[in-house]
Amino acid sequence: MPDAVKRNRLQRLRKSPSYKALAKALWEANPISKQILGICSSLAVTVQMKTALVMAVSLTLVVAFSSLIISSLRRAIPPNIRIMVEVTVIATLVVLADECLRAFMYEVSRQLSVFVGLIITNCIVLGRAEGYALSNPPWRSFVDGLANGIGYGSVLVGVAFFRELLGSGTFFGYPVVPPFFYKMGYVNNGLMRLAPGAFIIIGLFVWLEHTMLSKKKG
Amino acid sequence: MSERLRSLLFAGGLCLVCSLLLTAASTGLQRFQAHNIRIEKRRNILKAVGLIEGEKTLSERDIERIYEARIRKFWVTPEGDLVDADQRKEGDLPLYVWLEGGAIRAYVVPVESRGLWGKIYGYLALKNDGTTIAGFTVFKHAETPGLGGEIEKAYFQKKWIGKKIVDKDGTFVSVSIVRGAVKDTIPGEMQAHYVDGISGATLTGRYLSAGIRQVLETYEPVSIRFRMDRVQRPE
Repeated sequence: MPDAVKRNRLQRLRKSPSYKALAKALWEANPISKQILGICSSLAVTVQMKTALVMAVSLTLVVAFSSLIISSLRRAIPPNIRIMVEVTVIATLVVLADECLRAFMYEVSRQLSVFVGLIITNCIVLGRAEGYALSNPPWRSFVDGLANGIGYGSVLVGVAFFRELLGSGTFFGYPVVPPFFYKMGYVNNGLMRLAPGAFIIIGLFVWLEHTMLSKKKG
Repeated sequence: MSERLRSLLFAGGLCLVCSLLLTAASTGLQRFQAHNIRIEKRRNILKAVGLIEGEKTLSERDIERIYEARIRKFWVTPEGDLVDADQRKEGDLPLYVWLEGGAIRAYVVPVESRGLWGKIYGYLALKNDGTTIAGFTVFKHAETPGLGGEIEKAYFQKKWIGKKIVDKDGTFVSVSIVRGAVKDTIPGEMQAHYVDGISGATLTGRYLSAGIRQVLETYEPVSIRFRMDRVQRPE
């Protein structure tokens, strides 16, 4: 019975630690909408899809690789200087990411300005290093970092989608609101281009997720 | 003791590895970054004189093409004469000129000003009357995003266009950023020398005003030549 085998495999996959970690980071314990971490950068870089996506990718790579490196070194890191070691690893990766952006995506790096550098102080990154990578094997830590980065990035891109659509009427810079809307008196919502607009959207995301999660628990 | 030594050795080793990585990245990517900065400078010069309108984005090739065709870099002698790079002497100042059919339409002075958190670099373009500002741009700064950082935004830079650096008697007054709105704080005839401030960025405004005054003062000899329509330049 191939169907039963498939179902069985799916169930086994669902029970695997990697899958659990992934699901947790993406949904049940999403860094932004559930843990309310990384709000500062998610207000600042979500005016446009492009900046949000670049930020999401940069942060995901930084969390994933910092978790991988810290986890590989976890038996060698002297416990009394572990935070310093973690921050050094994270800072190095962030500066590398920033330098690469400056070399290959100059325009975006100008728009992101200080916020790429501020990934160093993003609680998500240090939180994963301290809370997960130090006590788990490298591969699982890497997946955990990836999942948390994507969890963060998905909210970022989601917020940016609404802010760019409602605030500028565009999607990745391409106009999507038909011109006759404007002729009939439709106006882009300026609030969405400002930080308070992001607060409102993030608030709605948090509300949505909490309601859905509490319903699931019953 | 050995525990402490181990921590020290680990920290030292980690620092060494990290710094090697960063040095490699920085030197390896320098070429690309320098290229980007060069384009960005040229884009800002074109924006300052109004050859690129507002937030329009042009490809690198277009920027290079327009720049090569319209803009020439000269050096200003202390007397206010323009000379080519090969005749430049110690103490001469760089100046970008927009040439159209052999005539100078506008000239651009590089601005380097103190800011709140770091230096502000930009360009100030003046029309060939030596009096009217044609545009102002900022290409590098370290001001707080959302506050002082607004100096890089089009809405702020647009306010500079048409302002006068000398009053109607011909005395140099520079252009300054006020605290609040110009129309509420400055009497009528002086409004041409002031720009609306950004709320939450009073200090950035004050430093930038001082920086611009200093730059314009240094370039006064050439501006005076422009006002008298007696600019000497190599053909």
